[in-house]
Amino acid sequence: MIVTPKIFARLAAIAILAVLLQLSFFSRVELLHTSADVLPAVVISLGLLGGSMTGAVAGFSLGFLVDCLLVAPLGGSSLVLLGAGYLAGLFRERFDIHSSLVPPLLCMGLTLFAELGFAAVQVMLGVDAPVSVLIVRDMLLKSIYAFFLAWPIYFGLRRALRPALVEEPKVSRRRQPTVLGA
Amino acid sequence: MYRKQVRRRRAVLTLLIISSFLLLTITYGQSSGGLQRGVSTVFSPLQTVADRALKPARDLVGWFDKTFEARGENSRLKAELVTARRQAVAGQEALQENAQLRKLVELDRGPALAESAYEPVIARVIARSPTVWNSAVTIDVGSGDRIRADDPVISGDGLVGLIASTQGGSAQVTLITDHTSAISAKVVPGGVQGVIRPDIGDPEDLILDFIDSTKDVHGGQAVVTSGWRAQGLASLFPPGLPVGEVTSAPIVEQEASQQVHLRPYADIANLDLVQVLTGGSRG
Repeated sequence: MIVTPKIFARLAAIAILAVLLQLSFFSRVELLHTSADVLPAVVISLGLLGGSMTGAVAGFSLGFLVDCLLVAPLGGSSLVLLGAGYLAGLFRERFDIHSSLVPPLLCMGLTLFAELGFAAVQVMLGVDAPVSVLIVRDMLLKSIYAFFLAWPIYFGLRRALRPALVEEPKVSRRRQPTVLGA
Repeated sequence: MYRKQVRRRRAVLTLLIISSFLLLTITYGQSSGGLQRGVSTVFSPLQTVADRALKPARDLVGWFDKTFEARGENSRLKAELVTARRQAVAGQEALQENAQLRKLVELDRGPALAESAYEPVIARVIARSPTVWNSAVTIDVGSGDRIRADDPVISGDGLVGLIASTQGGSAQVTLITDHTSAISAKVVPGGVQGVIRPDIGDPEDLILDFIDSTKDVHGGQAVVTSGWRAQGLASLFPPGLPVGEVTSAPIVEQEASQQVHLRPYADIANLDLVQVLTGGSRG
């Protein structure tokens, strides 16, 4: 990703919008007693579009912002989201995204990874109360929601950041005619 | 060139990971720092605008979710209504008796009630934490509205939580479902005392822990804050705030673990308007 000041401003606006939407909308809407978490999906999409560095920095920044707004211990969300963003970016650098199903599937898997990460950070910091097994259902549902949310998020972000993306030239599906005797 | 890029990438990643751990180490277990307060103050007007703008969309999604749930809830509510009617009649009688007794002992002018004169401040929830681990909401009133840390927060149904920190125009509320929450409470009628703790991951289940296993607690009994006061120390909550209803109280669990399960009265997942009880007996 080529980050010019204009693209940087767009990335900042995306981060702020994502955090505001998460805290004011997605966290407060429940389907099957679980609310969706779009922040991992946004970070993973940015990682897939911009590479591991973009993913990691975006994850750290979004985590930092959300922890600031919730006045939670700083660093926990940053650590988890930077991991998710970095892994998504690494995937993009190592493999080609051939199918449009890849971003949603990756979002689903890495959101589950992020939810497990949040749990691990909380356990590391010390949990003072009993933990219900329903938390497993919460994690699984969050990752399923991420699968469906990844479509608009990934393709929306790709559109918003198109000028900055380094994309491989499209391979033409039409075959060149074979010239016999040439 | 490629190796240089890889090295730089690894260096940035290491730096970010170290920064995260450093931030965790520095800020964990401390009150909110100036940076967090600043960011929160800057963003609270934006959050208020986003909250208002997104309310119709939230309501729409909530309507679908509630419609699915309503079928099962209907029969349960009908059964509860019968019980509530009986209790309401009994309550009316108790109110009448209470008024007479108050007159007799002149409690209205007594020091106990005068000291705990909480002033309610109405607030709107403008943001909510995305994970169940950190069960907190942000409200649109803050230190400018006389809100202080540790003020109790209630909804129309019952206890919601406690103010964790305040800024000029917003405040963070730690909900009763947060893992750091612990509320001294008692079962009524009966007066069995205990400590309410959350069951992380299940916002509709609370645990009344450390109860006296020799006393019987059964389903349907109400649980209210006990609001104790002893040796210069006092509970952060006034006495008698409704918290929840005992849902399951198996004898085995009561005797072995000294705990029963309850469902909070307040709809913790769908909080919109709440009241902060400012002032009171603290300070």
